[in-house]
Amino acid sequence: MEPLISMGVLALIGAAATIAGASEDLESDVGSQSNANSQIQLAPQMGYIHRYYNKAIAGEPVSNGMMCTIGATGTLVLIKHFGMSPLFALVIGALIAAMVHGSYSVTAIMGREASQKRFKQPIYLDLIRSHTPVIMAFAFLTTFTVEIVSYLMVYALAHPFPFVLLSFLWGVVVGSVGSATGDVHLGSERQFQQTEFGSGLNASNSGNIVRKGESGLRNGIDNLWFCSKFGGPMTGVAFGMVVFLGIWILIVFDPARGLKEGWLSNILGFLIVVVLGIWNWHIEKEAREKFGPYKEDKTEEVSA
Amino acid sequence: MIELITANLIWILAIVIGGTLISQSVHFIPVGGAPAAMSQATGIGTGTVMLAAGAGIAGIIAAGTVMAVNQNLPLVIAAGAVGSMVMLAATMIVATWIYVYGVGVIPVSAKVKYDPITKYRQDLYVSQGTEGHGIPTVCFVSATIGAALGGLGGALVYYALMKVSTLPVTDLNLSAVVSTFTIGFFFINSVIPSYNIGGTIEGFHDPKFKKWPKAALASFIASIFCAIVAVVAVGSLGGGL
Repeated sequence: MEPLISMGVLALIGAAATIAGASEDLESDVGSQSNANSQIQLAPQMGYIHRYYNKAIAGEPVSNGMMCTIGATGTLVLIKHFGMSPLFALVIGALIAAMVHGSYSVTAIMGREASQKRFKQPIYLDLIRSHTPVIMAFAFLTTFTVEIVSYLMVYALAHPFPFVLLSFLWGVVVGSVGSATGDVHLGSERQFQQTEFGSGLNASNSGNIVRKGESGLRNGIDNLWFCSKFGGPMTGVAFGMVVFLGIWILIVFDPARGLKEGWLSNILGFLIVVVLGIWNWHIEKEAREKFGPYKEDKTEEVSA
Repeated sequence: MIELITANLIWILAIVIGGTLISQSVHFIPVGGAPAAMSQATGIGTGTVMLAAGAGIAGIIAAGTVMAVNQNLPLVIAAGAVGSMVMLAATMIVATWIYVYGVGVIPVSAKVKYDPITKYRQDLYVSQGTEGHGIPTVCFVSATIGAALGGLGGALVYYALMKVSTLPVTDLNLSAVVSTFTIGFFFINSVIPSYNIGGTIEGFHDPKFKKWPKAALASFIASIFCAIVAVVAVGSLGGGL
């Protein structure tokens, strides 16, 4: 394909991936899936009854991988068997995945909260009614955008993998990225806002999550409001970068044009990694200078 | 079936090496698990298998793209390594933004007093009651080495299995079966080192890293059996058996 057209397609893919990353993280924030869920699960055991949606269907990568596979399979059946237009098929496929995800979410919270009866944690039915549609909406967005990424890669950029498999793979990657980035904002900051900013989570505070909100008792949708201001968009940037940079290096230097181009694409990718590494080091240095140490250096005092 | 195995012994060896490389890569990746997501431990805030598989899959997608148009072995495995490295580097830089700007903690290691690369003092910057937090430079470097090894191993498995079959490399069924097997190799060889790691590891400077030979041996043995099954399954596609 013409490099310019490929770049246009890649721009679309990057935009879709950014939305996918953001919605994936926000979906896990509403339902408190993934690592941050360990505190939601622990809280009642420590005597802190809460009003958070407690779903951990599986680890985020596996759960998202499954969702995207269901969506892509539905889409492919509609296109190949019923001759439907891809755009409609993508929407309906994502809708099927969202419905499946919604039913898993409900069984997850029912099962998890019921198992905590001995800690006096109630099952709030109004919470399930208000949160499940939000979770499904974000699941729909994630599936739809991951499907768009995969569809464009297969049918516009001629990627050799089948559409459903590629959707599964990107589903696992978006879950992996979301779990490693956006969830930190929920787990470290939002759930422990009563502790001093920047103090990390003292192990003795485990399970002592914030349960009172800006108005009334805090729930998953309040967490969504908070995390949509930083954690969610940042996850979008992360997944957008993963997809965009990964494909961009192979479009700028297309390995189909020869061995030299192929090696240049690898060198370009390596350079990107080096630049990101230097950036990481700079942020570390800046943080050390601005925040300062937590403890005093006792060895220096003794020697003085 | 026996002929299929004897004819592909070289590729079986390549798959076993690939599997062992994946197992080694996991020891390099600073996996913090749930405690890291709570700023309670150093590393990337997700589980061993998920992170290694996530990075490896990005590598397989890149290796698959290159393999379809250029079957040069060093190029394909290098593309896999670079794909994984880009994925993990992008994830780590964004995680650092969140740790520093969103949570307000300093990237610091609790396993060493001085960072072996930057020589920065570490212990004073660990907040009370935690085992470090964020991704300091030494962890970033360790993670990129790990991602490179994992991507290399994954791409090697992918390349070997593609070469086992007589079908063309652009065949959809072949690439689907081969990538599924490759992902299987990732999961198997990420689970085996998890017993060494026990939830969290910071990278090559962590004392747990020294346990790697045990995982390497276990992965080597597991990969032999898996490689035989994979070679028979993939070689039989398109009437190869």
